[in-house]
Amino acid sequence: MKKSKLLILITVVMFVFLLGPFLVIIISSFSNNAVMRFPPEGFSLKWYDKVLNIEMFRSTFWMSLKTGLAATLTALVLGVPVAYANVRYRYRGKNILELVFSSPAIVPGLVIGFSLLRFFIYVTKIPVLTGLYLGHTAILFPYTVRVVSASLRNFDKGIEEAAVSLGSSPVHAFFAVVLPNIQSGLVAAFILAFITSFNNVPVSLFLTGPGVATLPIQMLVYMEYYFDPTISALSSILIVFTVIIIQSTEKLLGISKYM
Amino acid sequence: MNRLHIRKPFALLLLPGIIFLLLFFIAPLLFVLVESFKGAVGEITLFRYKEVLTDSQFRLVFVRTLRMALIVTPIAVLVGYPSAYLMTKLTTAKKSILMSLVILPLMTSPVARTYAWIVILGKYGIVNQTLTSIGFLKEPARLMYTEGAIIVGLLQLFLPIMILTLVSAMENVQEEIEEAALSLGSSRVGCFFRVIVPLSFDGLLMGVALVFTGSITAYVTPAILGGAKVLTLSTLMRQEALVLMNWEAATVIAVIMILTTLILYNGLRLFKPRTLV
Repeated sequence: MKKSKLLILITVVMFVFLLGPFLVIIISSFSNNAVMRFPPEGFSLKWYDKVLNIEMFRSTFWMSLKTGLAATLTALVLGVPVAYANVRYRYRGKNILELVFSSPAIVPGLVIGFSLLRFFIYVTKIPVLTGLYLGHTAILFPYTVRVVSASLRNFDKGIEEAAVSLGSSPVHAFFAVVLPNIQSGLVAAFILAFITSFNNVPVSLFLTGPGVATLPIQMLVYMEYYFDPTISALSSILIVFTVIIIQSTEKLLGISKYM
Repeated sequence: MNRLHIRKPFALLLLPGIIFLLLFFIAPLLFVLVESFKGAVGEITLFRYKEVLTDSQFRLVFVRTLRMALIVTPIAVLVGYPSAYLMTKLTTAKKSILMSLVILPLMTSPVARTYAWIVILGKYGIVNQTLTSIGFLKEPARLMYTEGAIIVGLLQLFLPIMILTLVSAMENVQEEIEEAALSLGSSRVGCFFRVIVPLSFDGLLMGVALVFTGSITAYVTPAILGGAKVLTLSTLMRQEALVLMNWEAATVIAVIMILTTLILYNGLRLFKPRTLV
């Protein structure tokens, strides 16, 4: 089919707009200027060196990693059974329940973080760190349900029924037959959820405090006080990681269809 | 849930998820909602709402937030539709590459992605350097901390969402229908507006709902590109809660944000284009 020149032009401009800024960050991260300037006047790797030596970035990176892993795993443990029930069974009130299950992705993250903070401070007196973990789990839950549901819908129900009719218990059939067959969906859910947690700002904003901060929150704090290419270097590292993750997962799992 | 449901095995599958959301999502939200109606001695009052809604700064920020969402959404549609349409016409290999390029901004740290615009729009950023060096400007213009900067940042954030939604909607439009329209004498443009758009209208509504509500609630973009100078609902809420320690006002703004999002999100999705199909 012939593609019109106008369509191609719009698409090219759109991609330049979407991706140009990423190039700009990467170029600026190699600058030797002490203040952000573009184009940079010389080449240097000092900002990368600085990023790796700032203790706050290192500790918050680990905090983000641990929170992301813990929240993602919990959201999967909660989400897989829900996805299974929603794909396999019809029941009364299913529509409403599905709306409830997807609502942590619709309610603004800022409001979720804020209400968790208020609730935990006034009612339950849960430590901030636990609050951070619970808040992240809540927002990741809809992602795990959605991605695992999509992958369950593509899985041939007959195979599972065959296992059950051959004497396997439904629970055993689930672990021995269903789970291995939806592996790629589980991996996709894990990656999507982890990245969502790792990048999250709105929920973390209220659930961090002295000694408890995630990497994105720490970056925002740093930007308030300094305007040097340190954040460019750190951003470039994050961009490269993201590109690697997308490249490998898009080929293997076609992750864009789950978004 | 009634007793009938609990006896069925799948209720056990749903239960952990339901309990978790009840405790750590619904309860906190309800708590905040109730708090927003509570007066100083525990009486029920609309006083806090009246206070926030009559505040001139709040009104300014509320209108500004809606205005920016109203600007971002149509641009996302106008740019997103042609791009998404073109992408559905590509070979699988090419499409897969472009799709991963589209999701790159979505999966990148929002702080990193937004930071790029400081480098571009800042006082010594690319735009100002270029315009002053060619003599168009005598001294750097203020591009950061403006509504324009926020709109640009929001577009970069939400164009991918619009495109993804439209691509998956248009993929379901069968090639044959399009070919039939063309062979029956429809022009390419006519076919696009009279066949493709109506058939992918659900996806369009979904995209509009996501982009519009997303623009209203986005935090990182207005926080970095608007700062304290150009507040939006979310940055105002954060300021009330964490800077001014005015928890009551923040609570009311939180409720207003949820209501605005839910009304717009569900309202747009309920809207069915009977006249178009």
